[in-house]
Amino acid sequence: MLEVKDLTFSYDGLTQVLGSVDFKINRGEIVTITGPTGSGKSTLAKCLSGFIPRSIKGSFTGTIMIDEEDMSELSLAEISKKVSLVQQDPDSQICTLKVADEVAFGPENYGFELESIKNLIDSTLSEVDATHLQHRPTFAISGGEKQRVAIASMLSCQPDYLILDEPSSSLDPKGILSLRKILSKLKARNVGVVCIEHNLEAVRPISNRILTLSNGAISSWTFSEKPTIKDVREHPTHENNCLLFMKNINFSYGLRKVIQNVELAIHKGEIIALMGANGSGKTTLVSLLGGLLTPDTGEIFLEKAPIRGMSRKEITKNLSIVFQNPNHQIFERTVWREQNLTIDILGHQSSEDYQRATALLEDADLATMKERNPFSLSHGQKRRLNVSSVSVHSPHILLFDEPFIGQDFDGRNFILNILINTATNGGASLVVTHDSNFAKNHCDRVIFMENGSILLDGPPETVFKRLIEMNRAEFVSLEVK
Amino acid sequence: MNGQFDYSSDDSLMRGLNPLLKLFMLIIVLAGILIYPSWRLSSILLLLVLLLFRATGTSLKLSKRRTKFIILFTILLLVFQVLLTTNGTTFGFIIPQLGDFGPFFPITDFGIERGLSISLRFLLIVLSSMLFVSVTDPTLLAHSLTRLRIPFRYSFALVIALRFLPLFDSENQVVRLAQKSRGIEPEVGGLRKIIRTVQYTFFPLLVSSLSRVETLSMSMDGRGFGYSDTRTYYRKSEWHARDSLVLFISITYLVFCVLIALGLIPQLTGII
Repeated sequence: MLEVKDLTFSYDGLTQVLGSVDFKINRGEIVTITGPTGSGKSTLAKCLSGFIPRSIKGSFTGTIMIDEEDMSELSLAEISKKVSLVQQDPDSQICTLKVADEVAFGPENYGFELESIKNLIDSTLSEVDATHLQHRPTFAISGGEKQRVAIASMLSCQPDYLILDEPSSSLDPKGILSLRKILSKLKARNVGVVCIEHNLEAVRPISNRILTLSNGAISSWTFSEKPTIKDVREHPTHENNCLLFMKNINFSYGLRKVIQNVELAIHKGEIIALMGANGSGKTTLVSLLGGLLTPDTGEIFLEKAPIRGMSRKEITKNLSIVFQNPNHQIFERTVWREQNLTIDILGHQSSEDYQRATALLEDADLATMKERNPFSLSHGQKRRLNVSSVSVHSPHILLFDEPFIGQDFDGRNFILNILINTATNGGASLVVTHDSNFAKNHCDRVIFMENGSILLDGPPETVFKRLIEMNRAEFVSLEVK
Repeated sequence: MNGQFDYSSDDSLMRGLNPLLKLFMLIIVLAGILIYPSWRLSSILLLLVLLLFRATGTSLKLSKRRTKFIILFTILLLVFQVLLTTNGTTFGFIIPQLGDFGPFFPITDFGIERGLSISLRFLLIVLSSMLFVSVTDPTLLAHSLTRLRIPFRYSFALVIALRFLPLFDSENQVVRLAQKSRGIEPEVGGLRKIIRTVQYTFFPLLVSSLSRVETLSMSMDGRGFGYSDTRTYYRKSEWHARDSLVLFISITYLVFCVLIALGLIPQLTGII
């Protein structure tokens, strides 16, 4: 049993991140911990795995017992043998060049015998369905595969408890199903699993218990239907109101064809969900639509004018993009300057513009942080800053790549409101997402991509019906059949 | 990712050699031609390297831009030396004597020799390094550095650098796309604008690398990195008899280069 007693923690000694946390996990149990962004879930994960207070300092009180043994008397390496943490970003966790080396890394450090290392590589890779990856270079495998390798590399240290921080965030629906299978197998093998997760839909079916962490304390989670924003827009007509149009588009990175013969039109008033498995070309398509990449063949038109000949500022005025990783798209030193970066570049420095900038920051719940360094914000806050800073100048077209990942209820609604307002005011948006509920409730169209081509394009009901017929039901719903 | 750091494994002789030996060979070959810079020796070695490329089945294909650069640079080196070296037996002039004008730019045997020697050496350095990279498993190289009493903590840095370089490369590209999408264009007018441009690229990259470093160090510490001074190795290179033989040949080659350079084997200076 992993037992947490009266745990409190604060990074700076002033703001309490965790205040009196108590809970227990048994071996052979999957416990999911959810809660709003910034509630201290990742901090709790670092406490459970011993990094706090050993390598991350702060004021820490309380006790954590691993199978009746007080953790405070153990070193980090000793704890890691019992409790392992799989962090959020699989790419940064992998430190070697070959999958087999990665899985061997822990056992090598602990000085295991060669024979048992070999056995561990075989058994853990097969546990995460990745035996075929054993000899592959780590940089050449997909995001979902990287996560499986990251899990395997922890399991090879033979921990009794495994903590996973937001394991579903970089996965597509297929990856989530595979994650569920892996975690269920671990549970059957009597490993205790703690999942820290926003996307409850992903892990709920396999969880024994769900807990909520909010305001620094843990309580058990109860299902409550949260009111979603009412979307009362009328479905737009497609006649003669095309905002963005692409035809005959092909694109490759070197020899790898990523986009094949795509034709796509975005009309006034539309909200479109762009769905598909990871690696199907969604992000590349967004960059092409935004005129950031030049297609090998074909032409893209922004309100009937070819995007190729336009100046960057002219495009930016009409069209905004939010990329996946918030860190890659923050450039200024304060939240306020970041918020106004685009209007400064476009030369729209009227008092109205600044008023709108302030109002948006308030909606994003960032108004009190104007002078903070944006890089010190939480992931969810950065994401909201990304969205608000590209929306200040009210562009007609929004292209958002996975904006909802890591967002709690309020953050989600903030982004939804921006999408709906843009559509109501005669703009349009395209959102890359795996979230089928968003598509059902708010989108006029779903575009489904596979291997660089558009497989399906139509109203959500029609596309989802076809997806189920085509044996791709996991993209429609993650509920167990 | 791109195949910049490609190492493809199979059991050919060259790949089977001890990685430390291969590093040593690379250094020795290059030291040899620096000590004795003859174009004849360089061309023999170049031929040997090309044969090894063939024998190990290593592809010589590079991206168009790089191939262009290497070829252009080699030719430039040759042409400059030929044009600028005036001593030696003159074969003729690039610009012949026209009345009172000229002659300029004599072509001499010494100039051609020097040009060949420098450009061939450049090619040899580039190609032999390429060969080294493609036949050496960096992980094994890092592991064998511990034989030289370099602590694993430091030799492993090589593996981490190779692991993260392609990531930074792709990240850099994403940051540039993100800048473009916000209407940020690289500006060069004035110091302030240059600083701003640098800041817009440097900040996002710095922050994302810092967060990567934190994740990475937790992931490594969480798997017992540094748990004890000794650790086991799942894959480790061994030293075979053939490694000793190759080492012996390499050292002989180096000694030979030093002897000729010092003029101690005058019989050979005319031939090689």
